[in-house]
Amino acid sequence: MSKVELKGYMEEAERPFNLRTALDEANRCLVCYDAPCSKACPAGTDPARFIRALKFRNVKGGIETIRENNPLGGICAKVCPYDQLCQGACSMTGIDKPIRIGKIQSFLIEQEEAFKMHVVKAPAEKKEGKVACIGAGPASLTCARELAKAGYSVTIFEREQRAGGMASYGIVPSRLPQKVVDHDIQLIADLGVQFVFGHEVKREDLEPFDAVFVGTGLWDAKIPSIEGAGLPGVYSAVDYLKKAGTEKEAFHAGKTVIVVGLGDVAVDCATTAKLLGAEDVRIMYRRTIEEAPADMDELKYALSLGVGITTGFYPVSAKGNGKLEIVEAAGFRDKEAKMTLSADTLVFATGQKAEKLDILDDLPISGKGTIEAQENGFVSGKVFAAGDVVNGGQTVVQAVADAKLTAAEIIAYLEKKGV
Amino acid sequence: MAFKKDLSVDFAGVKCLNPFFLASSPVGNNYDMISKAFEAGWGGVFYKNQDSVPEHEISPIFGVEEGDVGRSWGMFKNCEHASQNSMEQNLDYMRRLKEHYPEHRIFATIMGGSDEDWTNLVVSVAQAGIDGVELNMSCPHMGRDNMGADVGCNPALVEQYTRVAKKAARSGLKVITKMTPNITNMVPSALAAKNGGADGVSAINTVKSIIDLDKDLFTTEPVVNGKSAISGLSGRAVKPISLRFLCEMKQNPGLKDFPISSIGGVYTWEDAVDYLLLGATNIQVCTSIMEYGYRIIDDITSGLSYWMDEKGFEKLDDFIGKALPNIVSPSQFTRTFKIHPAFNHDKCIGCGRCYVSCYDGGHQAIKWLDEERRPQLIEENCVGCHLCQKVCPVINCITPGEVVFDEGAKPEKIVYKKNFD
Ligand SMILES: Cc1cc2nc3c(=O)[nH]c(=O)nc-3n(C[C@H](O)[C@H](O)[C@H](O)COP(=O)(O)OP(=O)(O)OC[C@H]3O[C@@H](n4cnc5c(N)ncnc54)[C@H](O)[C@@H]3O)c2cc1C
Ligand SMILES: Cc1cc2nc3c(=O)[nH]c(=O)nc-3n(C[C@H](O)[C@H](O)[C@H](O)COP(=O)(O)O)c2cc1C
Ligand code: SF4
Repeated sequence: MSKVELKGYMEEAERPFNLRTALDEANRCLVCYDAPCSKACPAGTDPARFIRALKFRNVKGGIETIRENNPLGGICAKVCPYDQLCQGACSMTGIDKPIRIGKIQSFLIEQEEAFKMHVVKAPAEKKEGKVACIGAGPASLTCARELAKAGYSVTIFEREQRAGGMASYGIVPSRLPQKVVDHDIQLIADLGVQFVFGHEVKREDLEPFDAVFVGTGLWDAKIPSIEGAGLPGVYSAVDYLKKAGTEKEAFHAGKTVIVVGLGDVAVDCATTAKLLGAEDVRIMYRRTIEEAPADMDELKYALSLGVGITTGFYPVSAKGNGKLEIVEAAGFRDKEAKMTLSADTLVFATGQKAEKLDILDDLPISGKGTIEAQENGFVSGKVFAAGDVVNGGQTVVQAVADAKLTAAEIIAYLEKKGV
Repeated sequence: MAFKKDLSVDFAGVKCLNPFFLASSPVGNNYDMISKAFEAGWGGVFYKNQDSVPEHEISPIFGVEEGDVGRSWGMFKNCEHASQNSMEQNLDYMRRLKEHYPEHRIFATIMGGSDEDWTNLVVSVAQAGIDGVELNMSCPHMGRDNMGADVGCNPALVEQYTRVAKKAARSGLKVITKMTPNITNMVPSALAAKNGGADGVSAINTVKSIIDLDKDLFTTEPVVNGKSAISGLSGRAVKPISLRFLCEMKQNPGLKDFPISSIGGVYTWEDAVDYLLLGATNIQVCTSIMEYGYRIIDDITSGLSYWMDEKGFEKLDDFIGKALPNIVSPSQFTRTFKIHPAFNHDKCIGCGRCYVSCYDGGHQAIKWLDEERRPQLIEENCVGCHLCQKVCPVINCITPGEVVFDEGAKPEKIVYKKNFD
């Protein structure tokens, strides 16, 4: 009998904690003096504090800690690479296994929704200053929250129909349910932050604003210019995931799918294909598994769903009659190796770049296509930037951390300006 | 900024920032410790005991019930004596604390063995300009019959020593007598303290105990050169005992308005609320601080504030003593009905614990459906004890169901607990 797990596309991969199981987990916490988990969180979410609150049966106080410190506490709880961050630093690892911090955080955020808590409130007295954020991804959302909390008016321009950026359009719902994303966003909208959707920002849109924050992420999807790259059935990872995220079960994810690359995005594409019903899903990676940047737990999860991996190969051409039918691959290190595969879907998860943004003058762009900003997010004039578009594509929590710093810098800038 | 309600309260005529004080114990034994605690949010201190006859301390001093990694102690045993600082040192610490923290409250705990001792101790500590004294008539491991718990069990002595201390106290200096739980009824001792002029009592000191024995050394903890002693238990295990004494005192007509400082097993805001609901106006904490540090005050004040907000309470006085009318003699129970348990078969995970317990420890009122792995109630056998609900590992899976009145009994509106989160 097959040992492969069967799951739905929208079904969460893990069973969440309830009060009892969350308390049990919090009770395992050693309540360290100099809690390394808190030091390891880039965004300063302070897990030591909220786990202690739960352990001492102060659920609301724990929620308060998360929400004060991390505007996207719900999203981060689901998608952070904790093994490398808070959980990786947990002292309990020295005795047994780390506290499942992400799951505790998720539990507390669910309680926040159940209690309809509004921990952060915009001050009654508004400041004069107005700020525009371009893009409604994690970076802009964080920046907007921090500014609204300080009393500034914020407008977010987003060209898609929905906020969240890659959290809404990239990361698969089995890891990050949309309702978690929407809850974080709602709390930010409740502070009076304005959203303009479906709008590609124009130069004149930005004129009335005292400061502009660029959080546009990396949306220039790379498909290598191999033969047949334009055939229907050949996708970039971003397009593929976005289609899946928008059309959900109605999306025809392919029957025989090859995903190229072995980073987290590739693994997401492969699980998406499998969860949406593809029969044969294979990851093709030119190097070895040891060299792959993908998170091992996520990869194991993909394997448990029945995804296969072919290492040492990369695609050299795509062929087919009006649509993709054949993929030819060659050995990356083994120059002799050749392979011909039938496939109706080929997804390139080999990295994204920032798109050109020509509505702002003097944007210093690096060789990698990212915006060159100072560490505090300052770019030039009234322009600031953070998130993937600056750091070249990292994580949600990194975008939150960077945007928090940048928001503080914008506040200092606006104060100096006297608005 | 953390969400916080007004937690100020009057205790024995003294205005306190909040009711949470360090209990007389190692958690409040010098300037640096107590100042750190005040900065962390504690409202006051009962300064570590000073005895007329200080004893050389033993080593080690403590024993604990072993638990799982990370889980807090279920109980804590100590055989500690008085502060090892000199009186001069302690006076200096208390004086500086009073100077730097004028709004925080300082009570010095003292213990004497004769009228003269008590007088001298009160006069000495009063020099530090403190708010009051706590007369320790309750230490269970003194090994002397004129000091400690043996005194607290003797109402005549309690009254005599309290009167002596009160007489020695300058005006305005509050006198609190600390009660021992090693007694069948605390009320006579508390009344004796009141008659002796005390401004309030505090309860409880530790409970005489022996915990797990060492199976190689054939004695209990702490093991001091191969021997141990019956000595004081504190922590979680003693809270129910302390709540009981508090309730009995508060329900006694002679003590109902008499201020009580409660002590025993407070770890969380919920523990604190329990004491407040039964009428305490001050709460002392020792063991949980020894285990986790002063920082536990964060969640005590935050959790309490959020709970008050939920309940619509603006200040502590809105609910202090609120549970007292609802603790009655078992003879006053309504005994005309039973509540059948309701089994939620969707939530049920099929462990069968309810079936086992109901059969072996109850009334054989559950039929186990082997195929479905689900319980089914045999109504005629069920007495409504709800043991099944207590052993069920799933939240709100077994809940109170139908209320059934005895034949001939007049149905009435029954108040019962519905949520077991
Ligand atoms: C498949 C996938 C899986 C991932 N998995 C994880 C994970 O498990 N954990 C993790 O922490 N991180 C993960 N990431 C990375 C994470 O999603 C990003 O680091 C994060 O979203 C970056 O936030 P951002 O705000 O900088 O950019 P984005 O999330 O990319 O948001 C940018 C927003 O700007 C909008 N935009 C762009 N240009 C314009 C314009 N000109 N006008 C208006 N709007 C514009 C876009 O539509 C988008 O909404 C993953 C990424 C992908 C693609
Ligand atoms: C190590 C230790 C030392 C104590 N020393 C004293 C003392 O000197 N005088 C006193 O009145 N009570 C003393 N107590 C009792 C505490 O003040 C308190 O009444 C008791 O521990 C119950 O509270 P808890 O459960 O919060 O610890 C001591 C308790 C402990 C654990
Ligand atoms: S806790 Fe401190 S005082 Fe006690 S034995 Fe350990 S080191 Fe010594």
